Amino acid sequence: MRTTEPATTAPHGRTSGAGRLLITVYAIFAVSATARAGLQIATQFADAPVAYLLSAFAAVVYIVATVALAKPGHRWALVATVALCVELLGVLVVGAMSVFDPAVFPHATVWSMFGRGYGFVPLLLPIIGLIWLYRHRDAK
Amino acid sequence: MTFDGWFIAGAIVGVASSIVCFVAAVMRKKPNDITILSLAAVELFLLVYAVASAIRLAGPESLVGEAWEFWGYMFTAAMLPVAGFYWAMMERTHWSNYVMGAVGVTVAVMLARMAQIWYGTAAQAPAAAHALLPLHLGLGL
Repeated sequence: MRTTEPATTAPHGRTSGAGRLLITVYAIFAVSATARAGLQIATQFADAPVAYLLSAFAAVVYIVATVALAKPGHRWALVATVALCVELLGVLVVGAMSVFDPAVFPHATVWSMFGRGYGFVPLLLPIIGLIWLYRHRDAK
Repeated sequence: MTFDGWFIAGAIVGVASSIVCFVAAVMRKKPNDITILSLAAVELFLLVYAVASAIRLAGPESLVGEAWEFWGYMFTAAMLPVAGFYWAMMERTHWSNYVMGAVGVTVAVMLARMAQIWYGTAAQAPAAAHALLPLHLGLGL
């Protein structure tokens, strides 16, 4: 085992270190949500237009969040904060509606049942992301 | 839902790569030959799987699901190790190993969905497959 690699070299900016892992997870969600929404709308849009438009909206939110988290600067930090708040609101509202009135969302979306189908990652992701943004609120 | 040798082999390679990368990350190691080669093994498997699938489909075998969907997954999965490596190398810290570790499990889940497209989703799925199903549906993969 080499012990020459210093363990404390991790940069501390918003788009560095753990931030890059956050961006990675958001990017995976952006790609899968976009592919899923595209597939649903292309092949079975008439079945559940509301659910599938919601999937498309979720995909856009994930794309905006991914880009905004990856870009440095205060303005992008603000965009990221807004995107993550919309995401958190989306997963809470859609999650609650799908639990209390399943008839409204018979077709699954990313945010149904608080993202249970994704291992509740959609619920945890905006919370972790907002904590990350808050802790780096002064970072350039 | 049928899981064939391709899925089992690919899932083992993917999950093993993730475990190697996560362990290295927990040890606060920067990406090294071992973690990078584990990512390369995932890519190599996907390339072999793609060529073998093309040969099988050129023969008598056929997909239950849509061909463009299967190849869409194949292409996206094959891009993941490349994108993960690129993103990890732009800033080499121990976090890079977490980034690379995310690739293996994601590829394993995508391979499960590709097996569904290949064989179809049978109603008589075994219990273990049922446990995995929500994950597949949720990821939309």
